[in-house]
Amino acid sequence: MSAVAFVRDTFAGRMLATLGLAWLCLIVVVALFAPLVAPFDASEIDPIKRLAEPGWPNLFGTDHFGRDTFSRAIYGARMTVAIGAGSVIVALACGGLIGMISAYFTRLGHSLMRGVDVLMAFPALLLALVLITLLERSVFNTILVIGVVYATTTARILYGMTLKLKGEVFVDAAICSGAGHMSILFRHILPNLISPLLVQASFIFAFAQLQAAALDFLGLGLPPEVPSWGNMLSEERIYVTRAPWLLIFPGVLIVISVFSMNLVGDALRDGIDPRFKDDIAGV
Amino acid sequence: MLVYTAKRLLAFIPTVFAASVLVFLFVHLIPGDPAAVLLGDAATPEEVAALSSAMGFDKPLWVQYFRWLGNVLQGDFGTSIFFGEPVLSVIADGAETSILLATMTMIWIILIGVPIGVLSATRHGTWVDQITSSGAMLAASMPTFWLGLYLILIFSVGLGWFPSSGFPSLSDEGGIGNLRYLLLPSLTLAAPNAALIVRLVRASMLDVAREDHVRTARAKGLSPARVAIKHVFRNALIAVAAAFGFTFAALISEAVVTETVFSLPGIGRLVVQSILRRDYPVIQGVILVIVVLYMVINLLVDLAYARLDPRVSLK
Repeated sequence: MSAVAFVRDTFAGRMLATLGLAWLCLIVVVALFAPLVAPFDASEIDPIKRLAEPGWPNLFGTDHFGRDTFSRAIYGARMTVAIGAGSVIVALACGGLIGMISAYFTRLGHSLMRGVDVLMAFPALLLALVLITLLERSVFNTILVIGVVYATTTARILYGMTLKLKGEVFVDAAICSGAGHMSILFRHILPNLISPLLVQASFIFAFAQLQAAALDFLGLGLPPEVPSWGNMLSEERIYVTRAPWLLIFPGVLIVISVFSMNLVGDALRDGIDPRFKDDIAGV
Repeated sequence: MLVYTAKRLLAFIPTVFAASVLVFLFVHLIPGDPAAVLLGDAATPEEVAALSSAMGFDKPLWVQYFRWLGNVLQGDFGTSIFFGEPVLSVIADGAETSILLATMTMIWIILIGVPIGVLSATRHGTWVDQITSSGAMLAASMPTFWLGLYLILIFSVGLGWFPSSGFPSLSDEGGIGNLRYLLLPSLTLAAPNAALIVRLVRASMLDVAREDHVRTARAKGLSPARVAIKHVFRNALIAVAAAFGFTFAALISEAVVTETVFSLPGIGRLVVQSILRRDYPVIQGVILVIVVLYMVINLLVDLAYARLDPRVSLK
């Protein structure tokens, strides 16, 4: 099945999920071309027009430094994509690899999965806070911490799925035809896991946004000068009674993006192999 | 059941042990001399040297670990740099707020999540189901602090119905009426969790509804409402009850953000403030307490689940 047909079948008759997908595409495009889309420099300070109401030329108003909220929101899309994609890559690369290898090489896997169990004994946000305490505030470290937190769940899910696939006839056939371990794992088992991985990725992308926003709010996420939607909410919250729009725009952007990603994940989940459906817990 | 309990306990003990090793190593992973880390910037070299020898920081790590574990088991979690008090009493100060907040939140989750979930499942496929399901997903997509800020803006600043921050103890003036301080925070914290319960109640009820005994109940002419409540909902409740347990266990750490928004003197806010103050003994102590509590509650829920659904222990 071609990719186009897959997308068409998955989203046919699901208006909300299709809108969600369209929104996410828009976010990616805006993030890529942020300097072209943004009318102003995102960090240009202009004290004369601080806390200006939404209107022209400042569509979303200005913040307490007089910075254009619309332009900051446009640049914030970059952080949304970076945090989402980065966390997904870290979680799937680390967690996926650990899960698959553990299920395939059972003896090594037993101890590896015990390690994963120990990390999963920490509640997600607490684990993120512990890791962040040990690191500097930076975009990379925020991605790393959130990625590691979701790597644990990913490892457990992939462990279960690989175990199921290992007993299949096609794996026996591959062994009989003399395929090596790496070839069996990555050329025979992995291709069967692509669609559940895609579902898992979409939920991680959604959760990562909420975690990153929470870390920003607590003052433990991205460095304060980075324009992200979480930082915008965190910085401007003391002006909420004078300038309520400062919280509306970034907040609504976060909600729509997370909601869209959850809808897309939900739609994708309905399309995957029924054997794996119960393994992935989304919203 | 007995074998299952024994098996679970045998798996539980090494995991707690390993988690405690991680929490212990935490202080050693912070750059610098651990004694200086634990005493803070204001400590003199003499104090650092004294603590270093008292804690045995010159000894091998495993000796240090068992000495630390021995102290912890006797209730000695060290001394807070910021408060100058024993860590355990600093944690105990936040316990009342955290426990009350978690309990009130749980009540909201059950009161809001279960009926909407049942409604969504019994109206499966209709517009009611679509609205409740999408609404639940939307609620789960909201950053809790953002929701909290707007609740404060509307109900505290705008209407003046509820206090916007803080929580005096129930033993202070105001007594049980002080719970109104926790109303907005508990609703904030309940929103995303109630949303998850809605989705779960719906999914488990739809699962049970496909089973043979439900078809039999329908076939013998029971009313749809009776089938839905007595045969579907009651069986779906096992999985849902387990989810309540796991949710409750997670609430104490999830409350970190909510407690910060509403400036509640709970354990969650203590974690964040200790991280910002670099009060490492408190961070270490709170993490240990929360993690052990989280693991114990999860174990109890697993055991209770196996007792309610014997199929689990036979797997």
